Amino acid sequence: MADNSLSSSPSNLEEDKKEYVGNSPGMSPVILPVDSYSWENITEDFFNAVKDLELGELLHDELFGLFEAMSAIEMMDPKMDAGMLCNRGNKAAMTFDQAVDCGQLKLQGLTFSEQISIVDSTLACLVSWLEGHSLVQTVFTNLYLHKPHFIQDRPLKAFCICIYKIVDLIKDFVNRGFVFEEEDFQPTVYGYRLLPDVPEQKAVAMLREVEDELGRRLRSKPPPEPEELNEFDDCLALHARIRFTRLFYQSLSVLNKRENQGGNLGECQKLLTTCAEAIPLLSKTVDRGAPPIESDDSHGPIAIGFDPLVNQRLLPPTFPRYTRIKTREEAYRYLDDLIARLKQACKIVNCTSFHSALDMFIEMSRSNPCIVSRSVMQLLYTPQSNKSQVEALREAARTFICPPALSHKSTLLNNPQAKEYVDSFLNHCVMPFGNLIQLCGHNRARQRDKLAHLLEEFATLQDEAERVDVFLHNLSLKSESPRPHLACFGTWVLYPLLRIMIMFLLSGFELELYSTHEYPYIFWYLYEFLYGWLMSSLTRADSFLSEQEMMSSGEGKNRSQRRNKTKKKRTRPYAREITLYQALQNMCGGYYKAMLGFKLDGKVRLPHTEFDSERVRYEHRFAPFTGLLTPPPVQYGEFREMAAALQQSGSTSLYLAGCKHFHTARTFLDSIAQPDNEIQDLLRVAKTNFVVLKLLATGHKKDSSTPPEFDFSCHHQFPIIKIC
Amino acid sequence: MPCTPEESSAEPMNCDDSQVKDEVSGKEKLRRWINRQMKIEMTDGRILVGVFLCTDRDGNIILGSCSEYQQTDGGFDEPRLLGLVMVPGRHVVSLHLAPNNSDGETT
Repeated sequence: MADNSLSSSPSNLEEDKKEYVGNSPGMSPVILPVDSYSWENITEDFFNAVKDLELGELLHDELFGLFEAMSAIEMMDPKMDAGMLCNRGNKAAMTFDQAVDCGQLKLQGLTFSEQISIVDSTLACLVSWLEGHSLVQTVFTNLYLHKPHFIQDRPLKAFCICIYKIVDLIKDFVNRGFVFEEEDFQPTVYGYRLLPDVPEQKAVAMLREVEDELGRRLRSKPPPEPEELNEFDDCLALHARIRFTRLFYQSLSVLNKRENQGGNLGECQKLLTTCAEAIPLLSKTVDRGAPPIESDDSHGPIAIGFDPLVNQRLLPPTFPRYTRIKTREEAYRYLDDLIARLKQACKIVNCTSFHSALDMFIEMSRSNPCIVSRSVMQLLYTPQSNKSQVEALREAARTFICPPALSHKSTLLNNPQAKEYVDSFLNHCVMPFGNLIQLCGHNRARQRDKLAHLLEEFATLQDEAERVDVFLHNLSLKSESPRPHLACFGTWVLYPLLRIMIMFLLSGFELELYSTHEYPYIFWYLYEFLYGWLMSSLTRADSFLSEQEMMSSGEGKNRSQRRNKTKKKRTRPYAREITLYQALQNMCGGYYKAMLGFKLDGKVRLPHTEFDSERVRYEHRFAPFTGLLTPPPVQYGEFREMAAALQQSGSTSLYLAGCKHFHTARTFLDSIAQPDNEIQDLLRVAKTNFVVLKLLATGHKKDSSTPPEFDFSCHHQFPIIKIC
Repeated sequence: MPCTPEESSAEPMNCDDSQVKDEVSGKEKLRRWINRQMKIEMTDGRILVGVFLCTDRDGNIILGSCSEYQQTDGGFDEPRLLGLVMVPGRHVVSLHLAPNNSDGETT
């Protein structure tokens, strides 16, 4: 055998040499697979041989298992096989130079209408990129962007250069904001240089010149002849586009300036507003652009100057070979929304305290904003230095609960050890609190994951806070003006910790993770514990604050008792929050009791017990809570006991109790002054559920076993119950 | 001398011997081909060349370190490296095996 292989190898080597038929355009050697080797045809043998295998049996090497097999790309599967849809019957894509040489790409003499079409399509590509597609499959399918300096028509040239700058700016925002995941954004530019050599002023100046030129043209012939009307309108539309591009670029670049934000942001808001005002005209004139050419099915319509496959070689093999680009109308709608979101994000600079900033981040995140606005918001908020972050947190703790140690008049921190403890505690706070803000910038699906991790960090912090409290408490009692210091920092850390726990549980509804039969214990946990604890932490902070105030205004007590009282009433800072949480707690109570009622009536489809253990599910759902000391995790047994006790009363009284809960929730929500959208949505949910449960309590559809539906379209965490 | 499966797997070079071939079971034959270069032509004309790793009763094939050759007007395009692929048996038009040369078997 050894002889055999030795004698065969020289001839094989020679054969191998023959296969190299030169170099490919990419300078890699081309091997023609057809004539390679002396291939032995085994088609028939093979298909006869596989018949020996049993159904489901895999024949493979020891080192190759099912696990490896899973990661194989399935050929001829439209979703996985990138080579399948592409190039069939198509000619190879032309490069910029080739397209210019053969006259397919005009560098000058483009009509206004053609330029409008290119501008609109490029913006549509830009928007598709922002939705998570690759740059080379979107923006860089525009051949004009490959060599923008060669374009002779000035409007198009200025536009193309500016698009580069815009892409660069956005990429910078996202990279620095650091809240993106692979599904949000693709930062790779695949070797395209984003024109770092063209300074901002020059790009803006070019656009301005073009704007002026088009403007002069528009003014020079005031009464357009009917036959020229078209051209006049085209010119107007192109002018509006160039102006929009300039304004958009300028507002982004103001946002990107890191220094003296306050003053600049006013300018930015103005620019964004003018930008948004231009959009209606742009979307109205989309049809002035040359219509895109309908091509074969997979790519949809293609505008002049575009080739969807031009960058195919740059992509990894498993990449989908075509990307659905948004339509031009959709693109302008998206840009309009984007501008609105950016304006919203700018408001973060007005948030002076940590807590109001956190609320704003959470509020903003609810609408599931795009990656650009999320990144910009992070950048505008994040303080630069560690020291200023510590100061911000010190201030946050002071406004939240005013621990005696942080009070301006306090002498507690004159004790060096106390000062060290407080300082190191606040230093330790920087990371978890910063992470909480950053977390709100991530997309909703990733937030849940990160919330679970953040709980661990806050648990450690909680522990430290309590120890610092005890130390300061003992110290304070010995001082001249003794004040209790127990649970000050502790409460301040507990509050965000509880909010994280609530966010974690609620996000499961939004992400559709829970089955209906799991709802009872999720709502139970929220209703019986989390919201209760949250409110008591706020109440504690509230009373602590007013105590502090009483103390500090102690000297003025004699002057006017009445004035003091009214003042006290006015300064209950957490009244609104507490009312909202009371409402939410009641809503959860309503769902919980309604669910128990549904279960009793056989309206909930339960999994087969042999495949499913409720305890295991319960422990899995609340797994991140098990590491916490305060608040202690609640065990499954407790849920069983409490639920069983409630279920004794029968479904009718459960529906009635749930109905009452929704009524109470509604009353609380109604009492909140200046309700925002969130509260109005909740009100609608509470009102509807109140009616539904009332109906159920009267025996409506009592015998039907059709499961109730939970409709999350009104609010994505608190559903409307529907019975059918 | 009759060749038992054990012996034949130890000497895969003999597989082109027609006498032996008749007596080897299908499974044994397949086992010998494992880890060898294979060329598959698919129903859409593309050609895949890679290492034969795994198969089943339906002739679904897994190839490792696989390259894809697209048919163009003047022959074949520069290959794209796909890595691990699974080719459904129903899409296989023809199968070819590279001769068992110096690489692999002797080690």
